[in-house]
Amino acid sequence: MRIETCYFCSSRIYPGHGIQFVRNDCKIFRFCRSKCHAAFKKKKNPRKTKWTKAYRKTAGKDLAIDPSFEFEKRRNTPVKYRRELWAKTIEAMKKVEEIRQRRSNNHIMQRLRKGREVEWQRDVREVQRDISLIKSPAAGLKQRQLEEETEMDIEPETIEVVDAKGRKQVIEAPVMVPATGEMVEDGGDIEL
Amino acid sequence: MTYKRKKYHHGDTHLKKRWRVRNRKKDLDQIDEDIKEENAEKLLNQSVDLDLPGAAQHYCIHCARYFINEQSLNDHFKTKVHKRRLKALELEPYTIEESERAAGHGNFKQPSKRKIVGQNVAKSDEDGDAIIDDATPSKKTKPNENDA
Repeated sequence: MRIETCYFCSSRIYPGHGIQFVRNDCKIFRFCRSKCHAAFKKKKNPRKTKWTKAYRKTAGKDLAIDPSFEFEKRRNTPVKYRRELWAKTIEAMKKVEEIRQRRSNNHIMQRLRKGREVEWQRDVREVQRDISLIKSPAAGLKQRQLEEETEMDIEPETIEVVDAKGRKQVIEAPVMVPATGEMVEDGGDIEL
Repeated sequence: MTYKRKKYHHGDTHLKKRWRVRNRKKDLDQIDEDIKEENAEKLLNQSVDLDLPGAAQHYCIHCARYFINEQSLNDHFKTKVHKRRLKALELEPYTIEESERAAGHGNFKQPSKRKIVGQNVAKSDEDGDAIIDDATPSKKTKPNENDA
């Protein structure tokens, strides 16, 4: 008994399930369900069909390269049965599966983390750009002018940021400026 | 009585006919095998087979099609179907082995991109500048004339 893999979606095919197509060059294409078979008949490309494993791996959404994938493989050398070896293999399979799962979950989380960072930066930029909607730029103008007259040094402003998950962070406003600030400075240099 | 309403939906019978097994053409991974030099040579210099179009003397490897004469073969090289096929072959085709690798049996290999040279262009490289060469197809036509 062997658990086959689907040609289209790369899922497992247990005995008694699915259908197979033998091409006239003896290649056997196995399909887990009619959905995959129909997609194959329509000549859909598994690499471009979003719900397949092949898509997820080519697009980098799933962990694709890892030593833990090297255990389960088609090996064309028969192994002589030994009870001890069999018992050890079963133990090892459990361990390998656990490690593999942990690594692939970690891979997905790493990718999500990056998105969160980008999201957070975009939020900060939006607030900085549209702050005038909440607070008039002219608010406290006279006071500021007075302050500038009296003392020239400016303390770094701080903003309290609350992201989507409700985490609070206090950041210095000028730190985030460089994205736009540098552009302005560069432009000024060219003009000079 | 005539049926008044115009039908806008024709179902997928016309498509299903195309997907029938007896209408299957060669798959991309089979063509990928054909492109390899030793196989390509055999396919381009086939012996006369009167059952095939043009007695199997004018064959397009990339589209796996026989043409009746040199003219139609050259015209075919200029068509969209052929160019699309060349484009599709640029990326390594999907195979059963890849589906297994995607399932986690061994490391997944990203499909590599390569340059596909049309069969008429490949021949002209030996001669020189001429892109559409007349030398090789004429070689093919000669045995055809002799036998016919």
